[in-house]
Amino acid sequence: MTDMNMDFGGVDEEGLPSFSLELRPAQASAVYSDMDMQALLVEGLHRRQIPVFDFEDGLYERLTVADNIAFYRKWFGFEVTVPELLVLFELQGCAERPLRKCSESELRRVHYAKAYIRSADLMVFREPVQGVDVLTIRVFLRLLRKIKERPAAALLLLSNLEHALLLGDLSYKLQPSGLRPIETDEEAAALSDADKTDVPASARLFRIPAKVDDKMILFDPPEIDYIESQDGKAAIIVDGETYMMDCTLAEIEKKLELYGFYRCHRSYIVNLQKVREIITWSKNAYSLRIDNKQQSTIPLSRSKIQDIQERFSLE
Amino acid sequence: MSTRRISAIFEKDLKDLLKNPMLLIPILIPVILALTFDRVTRTPEFPPAAAYIIIGGLFAVVTSGTILSMMSEEKEKKTLRGLIGSPASLLDIVIGKSMVTGIATAASLIVSALIVGIGTFLNVKTLAALILLFLFFLLLGVSMALFSKSTAATTGLLMPFSFLFGFTPMIGALNIVPEDGIAGRALGQFPVMQALELHQGGSWTSLGVMAVWTAGAALIAYLCFRKAMKDG
Repeated sequence: MTDMNMDFGGVDEEGLPSFSLELRPAQASAVYSDMDMQALLVEGLHRRQIPVFDFEDGLYERLTVADNIAFYRKWFGFEVTVPELLVLFELQGCAERPLRKCSESELRRVHYAKAYIRSADLMVFREPVQGVDVLTIRVFLRLLRKIKERPAAALLLLSNLEHALLLGDLSYKLQPSGLRPIETDEEAAALSDADKTDVPASARLFRIPAKVDDKMILFDPPEIDYIESQDGKAAIIVDGETYMMDCTLAEIEKKLELYGFYRCHRSYIVNLQKVREIITWSKNAYSLRIDNKQQSTIPLSRSKIQDIQERFSLE
Repeated sequence: MSTRRISAIFEKDLKDLLKNPMLLIPILIPVILALTFDRVTRTPEFPPAAAYIIIGGLFAVVTSGTILSMMSEEKEKKTLRGLIGSPASLLDIVIGKSMVTGIATAASLIVSALIVGIGTFLNVKTLAALILLFLFFLLLGVSMALFSKSTAATTGLLMPFSFLFGFTPMIGALNIVPEDGIAGRALGQFPVMQALELHQGGSWTSLGVMAVWTAGAALIAYLCFRKAMKDG
């Protein structure tokens, strides 16, 4: 396969900004956008006859996991054997279980296997890791590696910034104003090094203000899970709810340093008190799991892993 | 057409059939009917008219019903999305499912026939008639499955068709249409009636009439197939 260029936002694609998406084999591109924009993009892909894996097509619920995989494998004449496929997608434990008794995450892994068996030069996934467990995210990363080895191109459509940063080699943000790349870790490292020379902030601030409609809500720093950058503004996440702030991430970072907050990524500040787990996806991909109801995971820059381990005295 | 894909569908649907009570119960119904009739009639030889009520019902419910519900379930649950890329692969699916339907029909038919006395069925003419009936009802089921949009619609379609074609001997028995009227004589030409006539010593023309019905069903199935591919 060669490079692929798709131009969107023509006359017949009302609502989509005009942009050009360049996809290369052996590369995973992630497009982060809101749901409406994502739906428009999916429509655009359908119009171009590009199949999108959105995990909404059915599987055979009465049949076991192994029977399902055996059927798809035979239908598409795929060479890899059923046991190998089961192991590749971590399904060996539930191979003999009918699908209607499987968990959401297990079903998603069967979908991954189906997508892998179906295979195409360009694999488009819509929200591939929404609402699944850590093991399944790992399996999806493995699937992406396999796709890249083929080599085929992968395009991921996500409405979750953390997932976009974790899964994509290149991450883009799609907005009504157009498509722009999200800064990578290297730039983040350079930026935070510059920040470090700054004087630590004063401790006179005890509450963090955020705006909801025209009300001003004041948060106690310890109750904040983490802070995310959204369109250049900081957004506070408390118990899964998002509250917009009127300042940038860099400004808030200075104020919160004293409360045990840490800039773990270009777009994230985390409350270290709330970190439950450091997840290692691969040698250079990490996430932090937050101890909240949603068990959110947020990206951790590879340049920060040393630093954070020191902070937790893990070395 | 690909034997690999046909056998993939065949194996998958055979496994699925054994786990699906919605498909297994219709297979048992003719057997239960045969048992009941056998008890009620108390004659040394089972009356052919009664046997053909069971056979007609069997073909309508098991043959048309099985392939219809298998295909409409795939459509409804979108399990075939991404699998059908060409008319060839749709044909593979229809053939694979027809083979499973054939096994289901044969199982139900043989057990029912054993109960009512299999001896009377074991001659070339009757067997040929049964094969033609199977093809006719199979093609009817395929046409309905390809034509309909949802499972609710398929049930709605199956009811009148199975009554008209499957239970034709029963319509006669109910005496709602005069036997010598136009409707009565038309009903006499229906496939199951012709099979009954053949069974009772009818001529080869009955087989000819049934072949015409089957050819008609094949034409309808072909048209529905083309339509399904165009909508695809």
